[in-house]
Amino acid sequence: MTTLWDTTGSAVVKELAAQRRTGGAVLSGVALTLVVIADESRVIEAEEAATHAAEMHPCRVVIVVRRQIEAPVPRLDAEVQIGGRLGPGEAVVLRMYGRLALHAESVVLPLLAADAPVVAWWHDAAPARLATDALAVFANRRITDSSLTDDPQAALRIRAEDYVPGDTDLTWTRSTAWRATLASTVDSVAGRRGDAVRISGGRIEGDPHNATAQLLAGWISSRTGCPVEVVASARHAGPSGVDAVFLHLDEGEELRIAADRRGGAVISQPNRPDGTVALPDRSLGDLLSEELRRLDPDEPYSDALEAATGLAGLTERPAEREHVWVDPADDGDRAPTVPRDPGDEGAPSGEDGSSSDEAPPRVR
Amino acid sequence: MITNPLRDPRDRRLPRVPEPCALVVFGITGDLARKKLLPAVYDLANRGLLPTNFALLGFARRDWGDTEFAELARDAARKSARTPWREEVWERLAASVRFVQGSFDDDAAFDELAGALTELEGSHGIGGNAAFYLSIPPTMFPTVLKQMQRTGMAESTPDRWRRVVVEKPFGHDLASSRELNALVDSVFGADDVFRIDHYLGKETVQNLMALRFANTLFEPIWNGHHVDSVQITMAEDVGIGGRAGFYEETGAARDVLQNHLLQLLALTAMEEPVEFSAEQIRIEKLKVLRAISLPDDLQTFAVRGQYEQGWLAGQRAIGYRQEEGVDPHSITETYAAVRLGVETRRWAGVPFYLRTGKRLPRRVTEIALVFKRAPHLPFADTDTEELGTNQLVVRVQPDEGVTLKFGSKVPGSVMEVRDVSMDFLYGEQFTESSPEAYERLLLDVLLGDATLFPRNAEVEASWAVIDPLEEFWAGTEPFPYRAGEWGPRAADEMLAAEDRQWRRP
Repeated sequence: MTTLWDTTGSAVVKELAAQRRTGGAVLSGVALTLVVIADESRVIEAEEAATHAAEMHPCRVVIVVRRQIEAPVPRLDAEVQIGGRLGPGEAVVLRMYGRLALHAESVVLPLLAADAPVVAWWHDAAPARLATDALAVFANRRITDSSLTDDPQAALRIRAEDYVPGDTDLTWTRSTAWRATLASTVDSVAGRRGDAVRISGGRIEGDPHNATAQLLAGWISSRTGCPVEVVASARHAGPSGVDAVFLHLDEGEELRIAADRRGGAVISQPNRPDGTVALPDRSLGDLLSEELRRLDPDEPYSDALEAATGLAGLTERPAEREHVWVDPADDGDRAPTVPRDPGDEGAPSGEDGSSSDEAPPRVR
Repeated sequence: MITNPLRDPRDRRLPRVPEPCALVVFGITGDLARKKLLPAVYDLANRGLLPTNFALLGFARRDWGDTEFAELARDAARKSARTPWREEVWERLAASVRFVQGSFDDDAAFDELAGALTELEGSHGIGGNAAFYLSIPPTMFPTVLKQMQRTGMAESTPDRWRRVVVEKPFGHDLASSRELNALVDSVFGADDVFRIDHYLGKETVQNLMALRFANTLFEPIWNGHHVDSVQITMAEDVGIGGRAGFYEETGAARDVLQNHLLQLLALTAMEEPVEFSAEQIRIEKLKVLRAISLPDDLQTFAVRGQYEQGWLAGQRAIGYRQEEGVDPHSITETYAAVRLGVETRRWAGVPFYLRTGKRLPRRVTEIALVFKRAPHLPFADTDTEELGTNQLVVRVQPDEGVTLKFGSKVPGSVMEVRDVSMDFLYGEQFTESSPEAYERLLLDVLLGDATLFPRNAEVEASWAVIDPLEEFWAGTEPFPYRAGEWGPRAADEMLAAEDRQWRRP
């Protein structure tokens, strides 16, 4: 591992190449570049998850930490790792200070693996409009996590308003185990009947403010066409926010799947004894791995998101985002103006410290 | 017809989960069951890939109760599981574990087994579906199969499926495999018989099909115009372990060549299937197996060997004839190499060199396509002295991945070309925690997906290749080779006879 203090993007690229030469054949082919945007307090968590995911999907990991945006002098610190703590591949942790944070793409773009898909993951509260972060614009797939916000339900609505195909949210990933269990339970009813099953309604007991519970309800109603409500349960629901799911089937049958608090779920269905299946809470790394498995737009997610938020036409939106330049310094009373620093070579060109005449960077 | 509104073909996150069913294992106390099957069942449960209503039934001679069996199963699963151990997952699984004690010729025991299955149908809601895993010596098959026929356990009806899983060896020659196939297929339907060749469950083997049929780069050169020869190697560094009895009867050709190597050959040489389905892949594999030709000169092109004592990995290794339980004058082969041809338009004239052996320097399985030399080189002869042939190597195990070997200029002021190799390696985790072959194959059995299982016609076609070899070798002394060597010298001479040499894997 090498740490570069107060450095430049090109020095990082050089160091990466140097380490690749001396490090031997560590890298074994790259499937994608994973760009992680994390707050300093969550870097360790994000590193762990990215490392786990990189072991499954060989990728280059670029972690971007934006710090002290009001710092007067822009600065870049970088940690370059090959085959070390951050998994078997290449990893770079970039800490950006001052207004450089607004131009993170200038450092990240040359670090992307050539012609491989780019996945951006915000392990943080993501911007309301992803287009305001240039890193979102060139990413082929964007992963947010609404559970990291104060009001996940509202965050989900923001994600729906901002949605373009290729977006996904980890609150959706957290519903996979529940969805798999529900689908296979309905399979077994269909198998027993030897005939199709119709679902005429459903109810989720859990935490109505939990985005995963809302998406699960949205998914069931998008698949069945009937409204599904999330009602508060007496017990505290786990990270998925779901305590139990009830499905009303035709022929007057009802299914009930309830979390057993021991990493499993009890399935109750007519004409069969109760059964238990594994329904573990998965680690962040597992969730991320699942996301990296497929990089095409996730239609079931957009359908569920539509149903959960009442917005329509998400899938039809164009898949491209144009970068929207937003300067945090423009907010309110033009707080700290950054003085010009002619001696600062670390800053990307075009950065002049003031915001008024700053041209929006063009990113494609 | 959509039978389940929650299923969406676009939804690729939801795993395939089998219908409610039971898995019945004969010979549950055996090595395979303990080291592979039980851990695979646990891993499947831990990954949430087992159906809600699932039961595991063990059948063996030992006098055990359900609790003692559950204890053994727990230890076995815990010891060899690939996913992290979670007691609660096992507890749930243990609640549906049953043990039936009896010998295979005991009618009462089989009646009890049938009874237990029926009982589980009600109490565990397995819906009458069951897969029977015959983890027993093939000599026991007839007895067990007849018992199942007698008790009606083997019958699939529209309401329930009954499947049987058979381990290799599938017979010991064409006649015996026909007999075995006829027996198994008559008790179960041919579609309900799953023959496990665990090599086909490996990721790299499946990736071979992706490599060939998903890319435009390789298929145009995947033929006799460009390929000079193909070498398929499966080497083991271990000896015969404690399996002297089995090995004395079998030998390397029957143990490995007949199944693993010929299956790898079939996957390498087959035409593109019409679609990626069990039936279509099988049709193409069968065409290749039936097109295999043996060399006229078996003396030169079919070599078998037997290891003598030597040094391997810094340790002294005893010879095959000194192994416990082996006849001191044994002529069983521990190494076999053969040159086969595939008589199709694509492969006519391209030799397929297959070799397998025990006590070779390292454990490795690979498929190497050796390409022809360029018809003309514009360089001076001295420039390309070190240039070999281009090679594409699919490494099946270990270090699963793909290697491409080609010529490149040696840096410097003179023009010199030498061989370099370019490697693709699957991520460590990818191969570490990717489903173990048994896990994948067991899941496929429960799902009824036969893509990765050879059918009886393939087995019979493979025996048709091996039988003449065995006939030729019968009664002859195998060539000796030292443990820790890459086989007998005759195997090197076999390639040298055609101006080729074995790749050192």
